[in-house]
Amino acid sequence: MKIMVCLKQVPHQDARLDINADGTWIQEDNIKFEINSYDTYALEEALRTKDAGEADVFVVSIGPDRVGQALRTALGMGADRAIHVNDDEANGSDSLGLAKILAAVAKQENPDLIFMGLMSDDDNSAAVAPMLAQLLDIPHTTAAVKVERSNGTVTCDREIEGGAHEVVELTAPCLIAVQTGLNQVRYASLKGIMAAKKKPFDVKSVADLGLSGQVGTGAAKVKIDRIAPPLKGDTAEILSGSTAEVVAGLVSKIKELGLL
Amino acid sequence: MSTVLIVTEIQNGSLREACYEVASLAQQIAAATGGSVKSLVMGQGVAALADEFSKKGGGDVFLAEGDALANHNAEAESKAIVAAVEASGADLVLIPSTPSGWDTAPRAAAALDAGFVSECFDITAEGGSITYKRRVFNGKLEATISASCDKVVASVQTGATTPFEGSSEGSVRKLDVSIGDLGTKFVEVKQAESKGVDLSKADVIVSGGRGVGTPEKFLEVIQPLADALGGAMGASRPVVDAGWLPHEYQVGSSGQVVQPKLYIACGISGAIQHLVGMKTSNYIIAINKDPDAPIFEVANLGVVADLLEIVPALTEALTAAKG
Repeated sequence: MKIMVCLKQVPHQDARLDINADGTWIQEDNIKFEINSYDTYALEEALRTKDAGEADVFVVSIGPDRVGQALRTALGMGADRAIHVNDDEANGSDSLGLAKILAAVAKQENPDLIFMGLMSDDDNSAAVAPMLAQLLDIPHTTAAVKVERSNGTVTCDREIEGGAHEVVELTAPCLIAVQTGLNQVRYASLKGIMAAKKKPFDVKSVADLGLSGQVGTGAAKVKIDRIAPPLKGDTAEILSGSTAEVVAGLVSKIKELGLL
Repeated sequence: MSTVLIVTEIQNGSLREACYEVASLAQQIAAATGGSVKSLVMGQGVAALADEFSKKGGGDVFLAEGDALANHNAEAESKAIVAAVEASGADLVLIPSTPSGWDTAPRAAAALDAGFVSECFDITAEGGSITYKRRVFNGKLEATISASCDKVVASVQTGATTPFEGSSEGSVRKLDVSIGDLGTKFVEVKQAESKGVDLSKADVIVSGGRGVGTPEKFLEVIQPLADALGGAMGASRPVVDAGWLPHEYQVGSSGQVVQPKLYIACGISGAIQHLVGMKTSNYIIAINKDPDAPIFEVANLGVVADLLEIVPALTEALTAAKG
């Protein structure tokens, strides 16, 4: 079995979010990046299949040189090989552009299963996974919290509202976009990190994928014009002062609410 | 001039409230552009709902019925949406951003080769162009988005707009959809197992987030404050994902939705999925180191400080005040 895992490298969850000069995204210089949290669970799910002796796992990511680090981390965790789509022509792609790039990789590789995260921690669109499945004409599910494989079918629990689960059965090849928390994600071991250095690492351009002119800023159907902190509406009254003063303020409010 | 197609969703035999919220936006956009509103109702045996929606904001309704549409199925729904767009000539498709909507909407957008804007909290039409607003970076920033294509699919955040309460005129037309073979099969919906921790009955909930730091600190810092107030302890999703506390403590759209007299959020930044679960609490106190944390947007009272200093001191003061 061949499993493709799509990873996105995103700003670290604790990174400072300053707006860039043209006001359309954050300032990415001098901040730390990490693998999108949702995608780490997707990778873990793929590696568990591999540990059961069944799979060749390759990881794919789109982005500049820094993304190589995310792919090397994934190799250190146990993925077999990496494909890095590193090309300025991919910059500014919208969700559909990114899905087209991943679809082109998938068509060259013909995986049986594709795992990825439900959404990214930066853009929060949750769009690429269902789009990729559509472009490949394969079934998909999103927000998977349980994945079970048996002969040619994958049965998933997907999270819906209020703790309820919807059970769906997909015929492979298929795509599963996972929710966080469906497994416990492993760390790369020192041995894994050493072994990762010898693993195949392919770099591809947009032209290599036959997509020249079809992705990137020019081809994007939607774009961010402006990005800004939310307008402060009825924001909280802020208690300030020493710890003792703040605590006194809180106690008096709790008394006022009749809860003491 | 926009032809706006509302993709509705049926839950437990009726149209979800979110359909009427989307209808508000659709009606505003159609009015501002001199366009029209049309709708798609999908399911099995749902003709009466199609009729109802046509009069309550949906306008002309396309009714797609079939076994494959009886339950949520992203592949089948995506095909029905494509057929409805072709039949209606819609250039803007609006879908409620529910678990079914987020599964189907991007797939339909790709099938239509349309632009896609996810989880919008507002969409406005002015001077012939449409602007979409959505949150990014888990609510810390807002993006204003425009499209440069002839068709756009947008999903709409639930609860972001007031439901449409006016009336509309329209007819119901059957839509033939060739669904074909599907690789996706709906099996069942499993309801949530009974909760060991029922937060819905607590007058006071003290919840902790990633900012609490470790599982031990929940027991050492968060639980004692909850105890001092005779309340219950809750948690945000990242805490449960990390295995610090079981799922039954989770407050949010995928956990418990709560409405206590007092909700104290400690070290919770305020991702949308958490806010949905607690923002209707009677009174909200937020304690967080980050002054820009979205939790302060819904809180009544905020403290910008380290919870590990404030919370134990508060617990001590409350215990002393009770005598």
